[in-house]
Amino acid sequence: MAATTLVFGVLPQADALRLADTCLLWAHRLSEWCGHGPAIEEDIALTNTALDAIGQARALYQAVALARGDGSSEDTLAYFRDPDEFCNLSIAAVANGDYAQTVLRSLYLSAWFISVWEGFAHTNAIELHRFAAESAKAARMCFRHASDWAVRFGDGTGESRARMERALLLLEPFVLELLDAELTGSPAQSRSGSFRQRIDACFAQATLSPLSVGSSRGSSAAERRALLTEMQSLARLHPTARW
Amino acid sequence: MSQVHDQNSGNDWPLFEVFVRSKQGLDHKHVGSLHAADDTHAISLARDVYTRRQEGVSIWVVPAASITASAPEQKSDNFDPMANKIYRHPTFYDIPDEIGHM
Amino acid sequence: MITFASCFVRCEATVTSVPIDPLKATFWIWVEYRRQKPEPVLMQAETAHPADALRRPERNDPAFLAKIAAEQKIEPQDEMPDDYRKHLVRQISQHAHSEIVGMLPEGGWITRAPSLKRKEVLLAKVQDEGGHGLYLYAAAETLGVSRQSLLDALHSGRAKYSSIFNYATETWADIGMIGWLVDGAAIMNQVPLCRCSYGPYARAMIRICKEESFHQRQGFDIVRSLVEGTTEQKAMAQASFERWWWPTLMMFGPHDSDSVHTQASDWGIKRLSNDELRQRFVDVTVPQAAYLGLTIPDPALCWNAERGHYDFGPLDWDEFWRVVKGGGPCNEARLSARVTAFENGAWVREAAAEHARKRKFERAAKPAEKIAA
Ligand SMILES: [Fe+2]
Ligand SMILES: [Fe+2]
Repeated sequence: MAATTLVFGVLPQADALRLADTCLLWAHRLSEWCGHGPAIEEDIALTNTALDAIGQARALYQAVALARGDGSSEDTLAYFRDPDEFCNLSIAAVANGDYAQTVLRSLYLSAWFISVWEGFAHTNAIELHRFAAESAKAARMCFRHASDWAVRFGDGTGESRARMERALLLLEPFVLELLDAELTGSPAQSRSGSFRQRIDACFAQATLSPLSVGSSRGSSAAERRALLTEMQSLARLHPTARW
Repeated sequence: MSQVHDQNSGNDWPLFEVFVRSKQGLDHKHVGSLHAADDTHAISLARDVYTRRQEGVSIWVVPAASITASAPEQKSDNFDPMANKIYRHPTFYDIPDEIGHM
Repeated sequence: MITFASCFVRCEATVTSVPIDPLKATFWIWVEYRRQKPEPVLMQAETAHPADALRRPERNDPAFLAKIAAEQKIEPQDEMPDDYRKHLVRQISQHAHSEIVGMLPEGGWITRAPSLKRKEVLLAKVQDEGGHGLYLYAAAETLGVSRQSLLDALHSGRAKYSSIFNYATETWADIGMIGWLVDGAAIMNQVPLCRCSYGPYARAMIRICKEESFHQRQGFDIVRSLVEGTTEQKAMAQASFERWWWPTLMMFGPHDSDSVHTQASDWGIKRLSNDELRQRFVDVTVPQAAYLGLTIPDPALCWNAERGHYDFGPLDWDEFWRVVKGGGPCNEARLSARVTAFENGAWVREAAAEHARKRKFERAAKPAEKIAA
């Protein structure tokens, strides 16, 4: 496989996989809530985000497979790569924790994805343009949902505020990557500006202190390994099967 | 409309009635109800719960408690007197054939 | 009329026949039975229903029954017999609980679905079931009970849900079987409910049935890909079919001769009997299984040309009652999953309610600003 293969004609494969892997692992975490959410209405809302993220992962994997032209498919990419071949943002694989952590992760990731998808608004690659425009809509919906909850938690009960503050601490080590992750054709600097703006507006409304970014980087490699062991278990048991 | 007479503990989300305009140019139609913390929440949930298959282009939510309904025991007093006002219907009038459609 | 009436005669129950409309020579049979223990939810509904000011007709009120016989819908504010209301609260809430608990056996496989396409479809399917639960809770609430009280009844074990969800999903093939067989059986049960006499229930069922149409197909599609797959996949499908066949037939409930019947037919709530529905299901499913090359685990199964139906062997009613009474493989796991989700969600619901209160208070404090905006 050539490292220079371009996806959608413009996107380096590593970038496409980074986006796809992030979508897939995040969707996996969201789907773990299905049937276990704090209210049935919320189950349905989380599932909508998960469905959007899986849809995006599939589109990207398919585009990668097409660009490679080596017989790989969305499923070989998702089910038959080893954990250390995945290049997701670390925050996507972190275990769910409580609903405050889930909401905060959604807030961060949707704000990040908005900045990514909107960053492709001026690309000449038609397919990527269309895909990014659709994905941006979904990301904005998710951001609104997560941001509403962050505000309810921050400005809700004492317990919800304490849980939100704890979530902020737990996820802090993963923020730096959201700010400086490199993607070709989408400068980290302009993305991080849009990201910070959204998050700060939300935190202000939630009466929470502004986003604090530590210098340390957290790892979720162990959680990713466990996640993928579960996700890939059946497919790998029957490597030649079609489903 | 839904009426809930149970004693709520205070932390149960109130009930909202949901109305969806399925297509530009049509009326909003009652599609069901859901529980939500407030109106913003209700709109966002209504979108997830009632338009998963692109059933709508616009949503209204109304707190169920804000709806005043006509009294069921007055149903016949309210509506029966309308039945004999047949002059309101176009078929009450004879139009000569020569005139055609009017 | 005789055949119509005779299918409602139940043993172990007092049978009274009451003529209601001599002109049409309509008779109905009223089967009375005593419930073993009172159900608080239903008592709440009884004392708290919205039509307190209304005349509450007797259960056999001729005008009420005539309205139903004329296929007129009953709406929440209309007068209705208390027993009709109670029956509906019980049936609709059990149905709602089944949708919600029903998310669990399939939900456990979303993270392990063997392809991204299957994962996406299954997630959408399970999400739909959550939606169905919501539509149904909302329909029940029009009868004057809160969702909270219905959930309390579920969580405390007082309320029932469909026993089928107390079976384990051991393999991926089980996900196919649930869609194909369990959703198939549910649809068979639900389609007649679209015409039931209570307006909000009928409307919820119409919406649900529309959404269900892809559920059974996606299940069939899973099974089909398995029987067309590797030897292991085929074996997985056959083993799973054998596990689900009989429990699915039990979904239609006890034999007509053994079922406690609450005049749901006369009230236009139940339109076909348990055995009729079961027979229909067997008749449409046997050819599908044959197409898939699956062997039905019933040596007695054969076409009866005289009846124009398939004959099938006896169901294991001991197992049926054991699972109904809580002895199924997963009763405890299912209920505890629901209780845990609800308890863990308490602070979330509280926070949202508290935030809404604060906002309301703020808005009330600044009316002028709001007008200016
Ligand atoms: Fe359903
Ligand atoms: Fe279903």
